[in-house]
Amino acid sequence: MGWNHLSLLSLVITACIFQQFTPSFQSLCDAGILLVPLVFLCAAVTVGAGPMLLLAFTAGFLWDAQHVITPLPPELAGNPEVYDDPGGDVKFGYSIMLYALMGFFMQGLQPLFREGKWHVSALLAGIAIFLYLSAEYLCVTFVRGDLIISRTLFLKISFTALLTMLLCPLVFWILYRLAALFHHTISYEGLASERNAAD
Amino acid sequence: MKPINFIALVLFICGVTWVLTLSERSVRRIQQAYYATMAPFLKGGSSIETRARNFLEEIEHSKDLENQLRAIEEEYIKLRSIEGRLRELETENAELRRALEFKEKSRLNVIAARVIKRQPATWWETAIIDKGQSDSIGAGVPIIAPGGLAGKVDIASEDTCSMILLTDERCQVSVQVAGTPEVGILHGTRGRYGEEPRLILRHLSREAAILPGMKVITTGKGGLFPSNLLIGTVKEYTPGPVEGVALVQPSVNFDELGVVFIIAQKNEHEG
Repeated sequence: MGWNHLSLLSLVITACIFQQFTPSFQSLCDAGILLVPLVFLCAAVTVGAGPMLLLAFTAGFLWDAQHVITPLPPELAGNPEVYDDPGGDVKFGYSIMLYALMGFFMQGLQPLFREGKWHVSALLAGIAIFLYLSAEYLCVTFVRGDLIISRTLFLKISFTALLTMLLCPLVFWILYRLAALFHHTISYEGLASERNAAD
Repeated sequence: MKPINFIALVLFICGVTWVLTLSERSVRRIQQAYYATMAPFLKGGSSIETRARNFLEEIEHSKDLENQLRAIEEEYIKLRSIEGRLRELETENAELRRALEFKEKSRLNVIAARVIKRQPATWWETAIIDKGQSDSIGAGVPIIAPGGLAGKVDIASEDTCSMILLTDERCQVSVQVAGTPEVGILHGTRGRYGEEPRLILRHLSREAAILPGMKVITTGKGGLFPSNLLIGTVKEYTPGPVEGVALVQPSVNFDELGVVFIIAQKNEHEG
């Protein structure tokens, strides 16, 4: 692991801090900007599988620490005769697996990214956010029951994916700057070896 | 697969297994530590946000004044400006008086807290408030707001608390439809985004005499919430084959949740 990978780890943690200040837009069905997933997805396409898994673990861990509602201890959960539903939620750590899946999804487009077609990766990041939110909602639904699919739900996921995707160029610019700072080569590595082999 | 990637995958699977098998107590400790770490950023961010909002409001006001400057005398504008500022102070004063009066009128021993952040867009309805364990606040403590019950404390760190809003599905309350013997469990709904929140009241009688407009209050049963706290009003009642279900409009305006009051009845500190 090099300095560049550590800088990406720091970037994910920084995104987690900035995530605290991102607003949600009520007029767009409460859509928001998801900085942590965005930084992870963009970083995932620039590194190998090993560092990507480390980033997925960190990002998922922080995400769940903030969001997952853990059941209260039995002494604070109220009389079980009245509150017969223990009130559990999705298991802490489920996001790590979702992040890893999305990371592998992003890595599928690494050859295009290495050719300099970052805009395809940006588009894919938007799709990945859409899939991530859909999967997250299905996980929550699976645990809580009652599958509720509404128009506003679809709009919320779509607007969130779109708004988040708009920040992709900025995140890629930061990633390139970090790579340059730590003398890490993001592009052309794989293609160069493939071309050499072809020659 | 490269050996290094294989090792990374094995380590990742071990890590995920460890996280997924953590006990609930350990998870709550992790979350407490997380919120304690984030608290300075949240408080700092909230203060910056307030300043930025004030600054933008000032800009807006000065633009208005500029337009008026073309039409009326300079002295008149000055007076208007002073009057505007006085009105602002008057409104602020009235708001603070209302909050103080609410606190004084309340039969419960309450601690006032400010909502410093609503969580960004996900599937959970939570908020962060600026009081924590240092004010003897622990998990599960009920939170009220002008209007009625607003939620309960989820994770309490040293200086901040994460609260579950009444509009979240996981916040369950034992309630009664006022004026009837009907009691049930009320919780938030999923799938309403960008719309007015609604609460669902379950476990009612199959054909209960419930009409729209009836008040819903807490029963105090179950030991989580005090009795007779207003929840909202019934919007719709649907009889069913096994049980009746009612839709309730909350009495608290969750879009403008600024100041809340924590009921200081429990003093448990978490592990």
